[in-house]
Amino acid sequence: MSDISRYGYHGKILEVDLSAGRIEEKPLDPELVRDYLGGRGLATRLFYDRVEPACDPLGPDNILVIATSPLIGTNAPTSCRGHMVFKSPLTGVIGTSNSGGTWANAFKASGFDALILKGSSRVPVMLDIKPGQAELLPAGHVWGKDIHETTEALSAGAEPGKPVKVLCIGPAGENLVRIAAVANDYNRVYGRCGPGAVLGGKKLKAVRVSGKQKIEIKDRELYQSGLDQALYLMKQAPVTKRLLRELGTAGLVELIHLISMLPHRNFQDCSHRDEDVERVSGETLAKTLLERAGGCFLCPIGCQRHTAVPGRDGKDEKGEGPEYETTVLMGPLCDIYDLEAITRANYRSNELGLDTMSFGGTMACAMELFERGLLTSEDTGGLDFSFGNADVLEAAVRMTALREGIGDLLAEGSFRLAASRGRPEYSMTIKKLEIPAYDPRASFTQALGYMTSPSGACHLRGGYAVSLAFFGGTKEIPRYSLLQSPIAIRNMQNLGILQDSLGVCRFTGYAFSTDPWARMASGATGGDFSVTRLEEIANRVAALERMFNVEAGATAADDDLPARFSDVPIIVEGKERRVSRDDQERMRQDYYGIRRWDERGRPSRELIDSLNIRRRKP
Amino acid sequence: MRIRVKFFAYFREIFGGREKDVVLPEGSTVGDLLDDVCNTAKRRAEVFKGRALKPLVIAMKNGTSINSLDGLETTLEDDDIIAVFPFVAGG
Repeated sequence: MSDISRYGYHGKILEVDLSAGRIEEKPLDPELVRDYLGGRGLATRLFYDRVEPACDPLGPDNILVIATSPLIGTNAPTSCRGHMVFKSPLTGVIGTSNSGGTWANAFKASGFDALILKGSSRVPVMLDIKPGQAELLPAGHVWGKDIHETTEALSAGAEPGKPVKVLCIGPAGENLVRIAAVANDYNRVYGRCGPGAVLGGKKLKAVRVSGKQKIEIKDRELYQSGLDQALYLMKQAPVTKRLLRELGTAGLVELIHLISMLPHRNFQDCSHRDEDVERVSGETLAKTLLERAGGCFLCPIGCQRHTAVPGRDGKDEKGEGPEYETTVLMGPLCDIYDLEAITRANYRSNELGLDTMSFGGTMACAMELFERGLLTSEDTGGLDFSFGNADVLEAAVRMTALREGIGDLLAEGSFRLAASRGRPEYSMTIKKLEIPAYDPRASFTQALGYMTSPSGACHLRGGYAVSLAFFGGTKEIPRYSLLQSPIAIRNMQNLGILQDSLGVCRFTGYAFSTDPWARMASGATGGDFSVTRLEEIANRVAALERMFNVEAGATAADDDLPARFSDVPIIVEGKERRVSRDDQERMRQDYYGIRRWDERGRPSRELIDSLNIRRRKP
Repeated sequence: MRIRVKFFAYFREIFGGREKDVVLPEGSTVGDLLDDVCNTAKRRAEVFKGRALKPLVIAMKNGTSINSLDGLETTLEDDDIIAVFPFVAGG
């Protein structure tokens, strides 16, 4: 590696012990950079080296790491994404969550590559980071405030020309809601796996950053060749050129319905009326609530939806969203097709700091329990939790974030909710993480992605296989190929690991794959991040994530689908489709083999040695 | 026979609506149908590259990609629904 205190990195990490109130600046080990690159890879290694796998996720022994990448601080497209790794209070396995925005760039401009948070404060605190200086400050004055109020309060008083950026939790995180998120830039969210509750357990309300420290690029010509190629290809591909800007991610709603993959009524079926689906489509959103599209820092794609809905006081209420996942999981999954109600519930979730995806999945589970008489009006405090009742959404978000009434149970997530009624089989989760808005019965590849995602059912960590369902065909990967799904999903997961470790957006993958990134990363750092080396890094990160999960107690039995997906078919193209237990087992074993994990899903000793992964010190 | 064609995303602007019914002789194929609806140079340029579908343009017959069937040679039957759209992503 070249000088990592200059090229691509600052060569410094900040380690904060909230129990002791101690802040230490430490050098970044060049070997970690060589082997784990940055972002997700680097955060996973820093986490693994410090955490006790059996720790209480909400206690002081949990570690939360936020890492940036060597491309953050350059002008590479979409290079603005930070990555968090922690032990999830929702799942008990690795929590791994990613967000765009401007905070990660501002954090890096304060002179650090990664932030390690350990211990727990006795009283609410915030961390204030400036170049060469970091301190813990009292945060009692913002404890209890929502994400927007906190961001405003902590941004106020910034010196002219020295803007600050705020990462914070809302009341949901403070209340240890297991599906609580962490936000930056008001509405950009590290949503999945409950990172908000981890910070709530540490009583860390916010991390405020500012600075203008720059990194240098080692080989400008090499970097520029990758950048030129990336920008050219993004202008050619319809998805990155115009579609996401025009329709947002919800442009998928009608198409996922078209291929019978749009889940309904807590994954009981995928049957909707066309006219209902149209009411919540990206096209309808663009024609009705959308005020403008927006983009994260350095993003030419622009998928953000800046929207307005009629407020109760007659004035328009403005906010962001909904995205595809939020639209479907708070909408059709709950038999709700009211775009304004979904948008309002999205706004409240952003303010209070809830993961809209896990909330939607939990709400759908609650509605099914209500329909089956396993949750009663007495339990809900008189609220009507019937499928299709859009009026209950906003109230349920608020009660969940504040743990009021039935919200105290919803705050535990879908699995614990259903288990509390003695019927965990009604929770549509994998490793206790709520399933995204693509029915796994409509694509074996997507099913296997959910099963093998390190963090539970996540379409981003598990591999985004939906595109394969559209293309189909023998030249690509058929939707129901047992043979091809394991290798296809491994490849998609590896590309995702690299994007997360480079701090860039998944959607660049619709224009190009790894090659331009290899040139940009190698050019920026002077290191060897060739396509081959990047692939090796992805395999190393996947193995390390799995090593943590195994040590935390996860087994092959956790890499499965809820029984509904093997027992109850959906109808696709006139045929009954399910993912039988035998098919799951065959794909799982093939996938383990491709990963060089043993039949119980544990990375083999030979793999660990060949990837030069340092084991935990005994 | 009568075939329904559905358009999505910006293809709705290009084809002037959400869907269209087309009457074709028995034995017609998806290629024949797309030839019929691509009746302007602009429409043709958005869908075809030579005689093949453009990359990243997807055509589905009753929810199945024509790539999994016989491509543009896939034969049509009365009341088939054909969806045509540029590749869309999200999530």
